[in-house]
Amino acid sequence: MILSIYNFTSLTDKFHTYLSAHLSAGIVLATELVLTAILVITFVAVLAMVLIYLERKVAAYMQLRLGPNRVGIYGTGQVVADVLKLVLKEGITPDGADKLMFNLAPYVVLSTCMMALAPIAFGNGLVLWDLNIGVLYITSITSLGVIGILIAGWSSNNKYSMLGAMRSGAQIVSYELSAGLCIISIVVLSGSMQISEIVSSQADGWWIFKGHIPVIIAFVIFIIAATAELNRAPFDLAEAESELTAGFHTEYSGMKFAMFFLAEYINMFVLCALAATLFLGGWMPFHIGNWTAFNNVMDYIPSPLWFFGKTFFIIFIIMWFRWTFPRLRVDQLLDLEWKYLLPISMVNLLAIALMNILGWHF
Amino acid sequence: MTAYQIWFYIIASMILGGALLAVTARKIFRAAIALLVSLIGIAALYYWMHYEFIAAVQTIVYVGGIVVLIIFSIFLTHNPGHTIEEPVSIREAFAFTGCFAGFAFVFSLLNRYSFEQTGDALNHTMQVADVGRALLSTGSGSYLLPFEAVSLLLLASMIGCIVIAIKIRTHK
Amino acid sequence: MTTTVTLSLSKRETTNSKHETKNMTLGNYFGNIYKGLKSLAAGMRLTGLYFVRRGDSLTQEYPNNRGTLKLAERFRGEVVMPHNESNEHRCTGCTACELACPNGSIKILTKFVINEEGKKKKAIDTFVYHLDTCTMCNLCIISCPSDAIIMANNFEHSVFDRTKLLKVLNKPESKIMAGVE
Repeated sequence: MILSIYNFTSLTDKFHTYLSAHLSAGIVLATELVLTAILVITFVAVLAMVLIYLERKVAAYMQLRLGPNRVGIYGTGQVVADVLKLVLKEGITPDGADKLMFNLAPYVVLSTCMMALAPIAFGNGLVLWDLNIGVLYITSITSLGVIGILIAGWSSNNKYSMLGAMRSGAQIVSYELSAGLCIISIVVLSGSMQISEIVSSQADGWWIFKGHIPVIIAFVIFIIAATAELNRAPFDLAEAESELTAGFHTEYSGMKFAMFFLAEYINMFVLCALAATLFLGGWMPFHIGNWTAFNNVMDYIPSPLWFFGKTFFIIFIIMWFRWTFPRLRVDQLLDLEWKYLLPISMVNLLAIALMNILGWHF
Repeated sequence: MTAYQIWFYIIASMILGGALLAVTARKIFRAAIALLVSLIGIAALYYWMHYEFIAAVQTIVYVGGIVVLIIFSIFLTHNPGHTIEEPVSIREAFAFTGCFAGFAFVFSLLNRYSFEQTGDALNHTMQVADVGRALLSTGSGSYLLPFEAVSLLLLASMIGCIVIAIKIRTHK
Repeated sequence: MTTTVTLSLSKRETTNSKHETKNMTLGNYFGNIYKGLKSLAAGMRLTGLYFVRRGDSLTQEYPNNRGTLKLAERFRGEVVMPHNESNEHRCTGCTACELACPNGSIKILTKFVINEEGKKKKAIDTFVYHLDTCTMCNLCIISCPSDAIIMANNFEHSVFDRTKLLKVLNKPESKIMAGVE
């Protein structure tokens, strides 16, 4: 059903057999690990630059401005210039800081968000590690990111940083609950935690279309909870500029600051990719039930294109949130999670389980 | 020594090193982070054994939950940044003896028990659905009663939390 | 426009949370959700419209649109003294502006000239204006009784030498306009 010309499994398999023919098993594994590491780092760097450019353009357009448009074509060179600036800047460690922890924190944050990229399927067969608990793995790794933020906030020896870190931690821990429940509702429907199986369960239509209203509710709650987990506006209390200067990364400068910045955008990509995989079918082209002719036409669009299209659509929605809504107060933030999102997603999960047992979805 | 074994020793040294740092660190926050490293090492050991589900749960519960809770309580203490004083040497000696006795006890037990290989450990994959079935079924090799008992415990603690946190309004 | 939307939104939310603590019925629970979603949709609709409608961008692409640049009439760029075709200005040299200036950016040097009737009369010799210390507060223009000076729109004042910002506003050989006392 899925066209083989866009199947990347054969490509990676060919590469693997080519390497195995020439080298021993251990060296093949090592080579492949190094190659994937290089690929991931390159991907992360390029992706962050694209996302930062997009963010600035979207922000500008929503505020009736033009955004960066001087360096390079349509201002695309601006990001490169900014990166160069950050690389050349001095990385200052404050005097009273816990030096080891202070320098460790950006690496913890960046490496956790890069680890979360592992089970994401970028296309048909384009996946680093398709382990059988893919979505649970992503949830567990994103919960590790909090630790980096807490380390950064504590070791800066700065009241603002510590307050920002605590706010951020409390927020991420509480919004993880409703995000987790929304993930579980799709796991209930597809019957697996493996990303590849979740994607292939949507071969006859994406869950957001197959699952009626409960899945749409789950999708909306997941997007809200993801925005909160990312500490992005309107949930950016952790780095509320007017109150805490910049929250947990107040004391960071140069490349260490850039790493926090990078991690923020990679986390955004990971959560949006997860939302796209769970609700919008991941790399699966737009299929309608048994309309074979229509489905075949859709298959001619390569799967990575579908994946990135959906992911960037959700990223755009999250950016749209950021440039529209004012920041929440702390009590409103907790009200929203504990009084609205969590009860609704619990009832919603029950509804989805019932729907799945009775076979009411398509 | 195969790559598989090398990974085991790396993970084991991570667990033990983290644990050792956790008890010897002179700053309480650093001790918490060392504990975190040790717990992550245990999760890595589960991944090494191909028990991905338990590894992920270990990460979520211990690292994402309990260590974050510990760090939060450290943040809320009076002087979290202060260096702790060196303990009294007699107390140190007692602690060392206690640890050694515990280690000797566990080691002698493990040494006497002959481990048998029950299956192909390397090519083993654990399905999440099997865990779910085992938890929610009766019969041999299933855990419905413990599962329900744990649920009851969780319910009781949750009600306890609500009772503690509830604000009783007094009308005048 | 955006600010009004956000303001009304936050106000509504505050009243809602107050209401909630009193009595939280199932009806106003779902009512709150509906109202919240509606106000969020209203906000997103506005920014979405801005995003799609590209014509009314407010950005001035300054060095490129120098020829067509339009500044507001009230924009304060610098103080100038308008002269008419026969090189006449309206300044009587009363020094009201010099007294009004809060940081001494104006210095008027006067001289005595003999007019047609043979009388000695006070007139300005040089109207010195320190653009480098001027804060564009407009007090000199307000205090001028004969409307001799105005604020001009020109804002491109960058020079390499600070002394170039020391200006003499009256043109050489200029005279006071007839009828201005």
